[in-house]
Amino acid sequence: MGICYQGKTLKEVVRERERLFKDTGYAYGLEKLELVESDPAKFMRFQMRLVAACINARETAKLISANPMSLVQGELLFLLANPEGDVTSASYGLAGHIQSFPFIIRSIADLGFEEDPGINEGDVFFNNDARYGAPHNADCYNWVPIFYKGELIGWTVGLNHITDVGGLQPGGLGVISPSVFTDGFTVPPTKIGANFKAHKWWELHWKRRTRTEAFNVLDDKMRVAGAVALQKRVMEVVEEFGIDYFRRGLREIIERERRVLIQRIKTQAVPGIYHYLNISMVKYKGVVGKLFAGSNRDWIIHEPAEVHIRPDGSLHMDLEGMTSEGDFHCNAYEPAVRMLTSLGAWPMFAYTSTINSSIQYMTTWNLPPGSMFNPQNPFAATVMSLAEVGKYVFMFHTVLNYAFFARGYLEEYLGREPDGVGYGLSGVMKDGFRWAGGDMTLITCCSCKAFPYRDGVAAAFCSPNPAPDMGEAELGEFLQPTQLNIGRKLVPNYCGHGKYRGGLGIGMCQMIVDPGQSLTAAVFASSGGMGRAATGMGGGYPGINDVVVFAHDTNMRELLKEGKSYPRDFLEVRKWLAEGRLKAGSVEVYNTATPNIPCKDGDIFASASTAMGGWGDPLERDYALVEDDLHYGWMTPDAARTVYGAVTDEKGKVKVAESNKLRQQIRKRRQERSVDAREWWREERQKVTKKEFPEDVYNMYADCLKYGKFRREFMGMWQLPEDYKL
Amino acid sequence: MEPRDERVSKEHLKLLVEGNLAWEEVKKMLRLRPKDRDRFWKYLEILQERVPWKDKILLRISDHLYIVAKKGGGRVVKCDCGHEFGDYRANWKLSCRVYVRKTREEMAEVVSVEEALPNANLVEMREFYCPGCFALLAVEVVPVGYPPVSEMFPDLDTFYREWLGKPLEDERPDWFQDRTLDIPANWAKEA
Repeated sequence: MGICYQGKTLKEVVRERERLFKDTGYAYGLEKLELVESDPAKFMRFQMRLVAACINARETAKLISANPMSLVQGELLFLLANPEGDVTSASYGLAGHIQSFPFIIRSIADLGFEEDPGINEGDVFFNNDARYGAPHNADCYNWVPIFYKGELIGWTVGLNHITDVGGLQPGGLGVISPSVFTDGFTVPPTKIGANFKAHKWWELHWKRRTRTEAFNVLDDKMRVAGAVALQKRVMEVVEEFGIDYFRRGLREIIERERRVLIQRIKTQAVPGIYHYLNISMVKYKGVVGKLFAGSNRDWIIHEPAEVHIRPDGSLHMDLEGMTSEGDFHCNAYEPAVRMLTSLGAWPMFAYTSTINSSIQYMTTWNLPPGSMFNPQNPFAATVMSLAEVGKYVFMFHTVLNYAFFARGYLEEYLGREPDGVGYGLSGVMKDGFRWAGGDMTLITCCSCKAFPYRDGVAAAFCSPNPAPDMGEAELGEFLQPTQLNIGRKLVPNYCGHGKYRGGLGIGMCQMIVDPGQSLTAAVFASSGGMGRAATGMGGGYPGINDVVVFAHDTNMRELLKEGKSYPRDFLEVRKWLAEGRLKAGSVEVYNTATPNIPCKDGDIFASASTAMGGWGDPLERDYALVEDDLHYGWMTPDAARTVYGAVTDEKGKVKVAESNKLRQQIRKRRQERSVDAREWWREERQKVTKKEFPEDVYNMYADCLKYGKFRREFMGMWQLPEDYKL
Repeated sequence: MEPRDERVSKEHLKLLVEGNLAWEEVKKMLRLRPKDRDRFWKYLEILQERVPWKDKILLRISDHLYIVAKKGGGRVVKCDCGHEFGDYRANWKLSCRVYVRKTREEMAEVVSVEEALPNANLVEMREFYCPGCFALLAVEVVPVGYPPVSEMFPDLDTFYREWLGKPLEDERPDWFQDRTLDIPANWAKEA
């Protein structure tokens, strides 16, 4: 006798969910939406009551947390799922996790949790293991079953991104990890409590296996408290509407919204095949040394996608040809892929009255076994899987932007590229107190790409979170007293150019103060040094790299004593160093994630991200927009002249006749410098035939040519002999 | 003929296409549910009025580029300047003029922050120009030897017949077969 409706087991209902959709094409076989159609107003009230319950859980539970990412940066989420694992309602917050939770339920069903350890009212479960549905171990899930008269009728879930995971690098965004054994604290699905409370022993794990015990224990309590509170609210809804309505209503939410998504694609897009490409870099060479032989190298990460917008309005994403799994931090499993990429799906087409897992019923993926997102090594590291999965968030933006643009729905265009710089810290204060922290300011606040009708918007949104906030510098400084914020601003010229330019990138600048005995920073960056995106849009330039600068052994203390001002972004750091106003013993510049960087008092840590791509030919930019940029200090006269062909006077006014002439000259230069594609192809082919690739590029091609689809394209484009091999 | 859906007028749409619609008005269009069903036809009218040639636009695929129906048969990619790139089933980038920025200095002409330049040791910056008007049509930042990325290959017959309910006159099963690789195959033969 199982715990689900009509005595079915959890395993049975999870399998039935899959079978019914496969057989009928409707979620749960629901050809007819009886509740929706018989009384839509009642149904809407039902749905909104559940959403309100989730939001209520979030807003009350988060006050238990002390973690600024949960408190003020919105890195948390509370969910309601049906027994089969489909998420039907959610609070605002880290919405992507709606897509991964169904995998967690499938995992515990397959693992036989119903028999052992048993699933009973009041039980509390936990998972942060990527193999079983969590995207990576910084994202921790606690969930409790909802029982009604002995029948499992759903799950309530609390989720947040924790401050430190106890990995090789401090923080929750570590980018050096050769295997799961260096990922840090990773717990497969586990029953961690009973009677709606976590067991006492569970706290010890956080205390002993992570660097930020207090934050993590409180975060755990927050997740459990929110899930339990949500359950109570849900039971009120069950009492009000009746159990039969509740049971069927959750299923109708999924099917109704599946239909909405399909209809939206058919209304706004154009069927066909679209391509997306991202190329990035992961650098381990010389970082882990001989200890991890398989990791002592760099990788160029190849991330292609062929997206099919099918005649029936569903979407198929074929990622064949991507980099293979490796001894690095960015392997991932399907739940992580579906989770993070949904963050591109929500804003582009998957928004409905309640965000839910209906998207899973109209999207399919090809993730070839052995590739980075389908690792066959059970011990593959996944600590920062999201670093590379995250690049596919922008696949939905890129592809659907082409489609919406072609269809004439220009207002639905929303361009984004990989974005975000964050960091983890660990240190020992003067009095011996060991502490750790992390920050996501430049992840939770990003600019967007240009639109086909206007410039990109600065500081507009957050990639991983539809309800983002940059957070408060003061709270950050209170919790991380070594990080004194001396600048947060938009950085001039820092964008991809175009007829409409991308949103300007955002920079922050910190001075390290009184770190005590030691302080180490590990910085995550979204770009890999190859540029922000591999392709521009509509003739615009793609966005440009993240920048991370450390200036060590500076004279900042003297400057402060003298009451002088200080640099506010990496450009000013460079300028001041050149002018001798700022002195530094050494300077490090990165466009990628960094290894652990030891910091001392007076060091400068400047970072910047989200310098987004443009749209259209820069030579077609309206002179009035050039003048605006100069007026507000977003662009320098030099860039206006070189890139936009706009000659300006000392007041920033465009000299029209001179500019028109300059634009003509630039077009002429294009004509002189360019060659016919055929000639270019001949030259390029020669290099390919002779295998004249830099080592890392060679390795990338050698790996990706193992996959049939990419091999066919590559061989066909360069007309190579069948036995071509790298 | 169905009446016009004036919730988004042709004039408003034209302003949006030209980049002159006020942001507040754009947001109203964003909030519009359901969308105006005749948007595509209004869009085509506006686009057709903007180009100096008569070929019928079937789809706009980039800032300057359209798939058009040729009177004598055929569907080709065409720039608003009038230059034609050939059969739309092949990636139009293979009919462009190409300039490759290979060094930091060359890239610095169009990337205005030196710390944020792409790594010129690993990638090149390709610019694809229209051979007619030398407008910049596409930019790629990829390693040497990377096949040009095909942005979109629309299934026009399905689109017009099943999604718009107005089938094209020259429907054929082979319209939705990518012909990009025919181009290098021919070049190789001629070499």
